[in-house]
Amino acid sequence: MYFLTALVCAIIAGILWLFFRDRKGLHLDVLTIIFGAASLMWLVDCFFTLADEGVFLSFDDPQDGWIALWTIAGGTFLWLILSFIFNFSGKTGDSVSKAK
Amino acid sequence: MACFLVSAGEALVVMGAKYIVRHQENKFALAVRSGEKASRDTTKFGAEVPWSKKLGYLELTLWGGAFLLAGEHVLHGEVVPYPPFLTAASSPEDTATMLHEMGTVGVTMAAVLTIAWGIGVLVVDYLKYSKHQKKMVSTAEGAK
Repeated sequence: MYFLTALVCAIIAGILWLFFRDRKGLHLDVLTIIFGAASLMWLVDCFFTLADEGVFLSFDDPQDGWIALWTIAGGTFLWLILSFIFNFSGKTGDSVSKAK
Repeated sequence: MACFLVSAGEALVVMGAKYIVRHQENKFALAVRSGEKASRDTTKFGAEVPWSKKLGYLELTLWGGAFLLAGEHVLHGEVVPYPPFLTAASSPEDTATMLHEMGTVGVTMAAVLTIAWGIGVLVVDYLKYSKHQKKMVSTAEGAK
């Protein structure tokens, strides 16, 4: 279930990145990469589960909901922290493009 | 069990490589500024985006994935806040299973992320290169 959550989040973040690609300070590329990377890792996990147990996706685990919630919250938290660092370190972001 | 540790380990290596590459790029930029070396031709394939930035994206990919998977492992009770931190490390049988999983699932995950990053870098380099080519063609036609 958390694979699907990460995948949906990656797609939404990717669409938002396309729409707001001129606003570099939002760092939506970072958000897309975080969710995309997690999706790929869980996809690999799903294939290994399929090979071992014959099930690709399982919804039986009672922790699934919490992990899906963690996926959204953790990815967003990491994106906020990294965006804050990137924007205020002066390397990238709107402040730099405005100054130029 | 601890498959995310492989990606985290690779991220550490990439982080080190990124700082070395960035150091070399800064040295090169200083040499260009002082006139010791000629500036790089950014119209060449793959030359516009510096390697430190490309490695930065790989580092972000690996850390991002490892971070979310670490949370999943915490919620599954496989990672605990007290020694030995990994519940699988408490018995030799579980440790062997964990190491096997790291060697199969973990390595595949890290490889898939690295391949995905490689494809992304190639696509971006190609797009930048074709943009330069189009610009050069239109400039040449304008000069005629």
